[in-house]
Amino acid sequence: MGAVSQPTLRYPGYTLDQDGVGRVLPGMAGVVYNARVGDPAFGWAGDHVEPGTSIHNGDPAAEFALHYLTCIGNTATVTSGLAKGAQGIVTGEHARLLIDFPAEANDLLCVGDNIQIKAHGRGLAFTDYPQIHLKKCSPALIDAIPFEDLGGKLRIPVTMELPIRIMGSGAELNPEYVDQDLMSGDRLLMVDLGIDRMRLGDLVVINHADHRYGRGYRAGAVTIGLCIHGDSIMTGHGPGILTIITCAEPLIEWVIDPAANIANYLKIRSLAS
Amino acid sequence: MSVRTNADRLVSVSVMGNIASPGFSGLPAIPYSLTSDGEPFLLPTYGGIVYNVSVGDSVYGWLADCIHPGVSISLKDDVGNRGLNIFSCVGNVAVVMSGGAAGARGVVTGKSGRFSEHVIIHFSVADREKMAIGDKIVVRSKGVGLDLPDHPDIALKSCSPELLDALEVSSTSEGKLSVPVVAVVPAHLLGAGAGLTSEGGSLHIQTADRQAIKDAKLENLRLGDVVALADYDSRFNHGYLGGAVGIGVVGQGDSPRAGYGPGVTLLMTSHKGGITPLLSDDVNLKPLLNL
Repeated sequence: MGAVSQPTLRYPGYTLDQDGVGRVLPGMAGVVYNARVGDPAFGWAGDHVEPGTSIHNGDPAAEFALHYLTCIGNTATVTSGLAKGAQGIVTGEHARLLIDFPAEANDLLCVGDNIQIKAHGRGLAFTDYPQIHLKKCSPALIDAIPFEDLGGKLRIPVTMELPIRIMGSGAELNPEYVDQDLMSGDRLLMVDLGIDRMRLGDLVVINHADHRYGRGYRAGAVTIGLCIHGDSIMTGHGPGILTIITCAEPLIEWVIDPAANIANYLKIRSLAS
Repeated sequence: MSVRTNADRLVSVSVMGNIASPGFSGLPAIPYSLTSDGEPFLLPTYGGIVYNVSVGDSVYGWLADCIHPGVSISLKDDVGNRGLNIFSCVGNVAVVMSGGAAGARGVVTGKSGRFSEHVIIHFSVADREKMAIGDKIVVRSKGVGLDLPDHPDIALKSCSPELLDALEVSSTSEGKLSVPVVAVVPAHLLGAGAGLTSEGGSLHIQTADRQAIKDAKLENLRLGDVVALADYDSRFNHGYLGGAVGIGVVGQGDSPRAGYGPGVTLLMTSHKGGITPLLSDDVNLKPLLNL
């Protein structure tokens, strides 16, 4: 269980961009009324924009349980306050858990309202592909992704490929905890590779990334990630990529599909591709 | 061509730390970390007085996880520790102020980042043997504010004027700064530390893929080696930027963990590629600072 979080700032509130210019920007925590999975990851006048409602638990051990047991696609239910009974879907894990509720429910949510998650998915594995590790995938998400079994390999739709050299902040954390930002500081590269068209909720692939027990470089490894939060002005940061599928061997192939977004797969909203 | 600096205007100020104890997390007291292949391991890691690993030794082959050569210090107060970590510069003199080694002098050789935030200091082995965990060490910090007026695109960090002198950098005819290094680390082999502060802490070379380390000619790295970081802008945090160049010193040993390996303390960075790494042998703190 978690509660709707309050955005926090440390005096004087500036975040430095790559040229050292300090800016004050919203985006993290609280209820973000106007950013949802399916919306662009880039271009917000915000930093690390967390779509929808962000929840946390003030007790450290309970907070880690919330982080480690919750899976993408799990259902969330409001258990207190004006929105009591409203149902949502888990769409990401950042410093807080991110949940998509219908706009009517967001309007009724108050900071501190309790939200309970039916955590389901830890331990999930492909019985025919023991080398492929699943992280934070609910059975509902895995059922919804149109995998192709190539007999010895799996093919997964993704919206784009990210080069491993731009994978940044989060390399110091274990892959069971939050995301790893892609580093968007090279703006020309973002445009050249079309990364600036990424949407919140996109599935993406990182070739040569082994995220089984850390987040590191290994030639031939493949990691499928989920874009969970928006871009950042901070050096070494950018849209957040949550590890959901990883394999140390080249057993995962991918096909570029603009519809590869959890907004489609989890029927949160339908996206024009 | 020699390089002008503002070193005569720098302020030298004391920052203090205590010799840090190695630590492990509390109950249920599972002491293992995981290798990049998921194998549990239990090995010495940061903190304490390390008697038999010193600047100049190989970064590889120790049964340890990011070991700090020599002595690691920190301050329990977080804000004060940040002062220690940010103001201490590589090459600064450190003086033991309490305990059996009081009066002994050492030299700052590196810093570690998130989760440890230690300053790493070289002392003679004889001095290390007289020290105890908790002993007070003052670093006579000097270097924050150091600038190169003829190279405004270059930011210096954690770099003492003494180290800058010893490095024998020079201005090239194209107006760039030529800096001797033992190797250039490609961006895809930089891991933990990306997105974190470049004023202190460390950016780690990741070594799980040993063939990639050989391909990048990083297999003979030693503690204290000066290296270049390709395509990284480290003015305000460390992050990828095509064409940017950083210079750092290897402060910590290798690690079995994914995303980790030898830790690099940043010394200088140019987001405009205004640094030309000059591959040379033996660009190491041990000869440079007479350790």
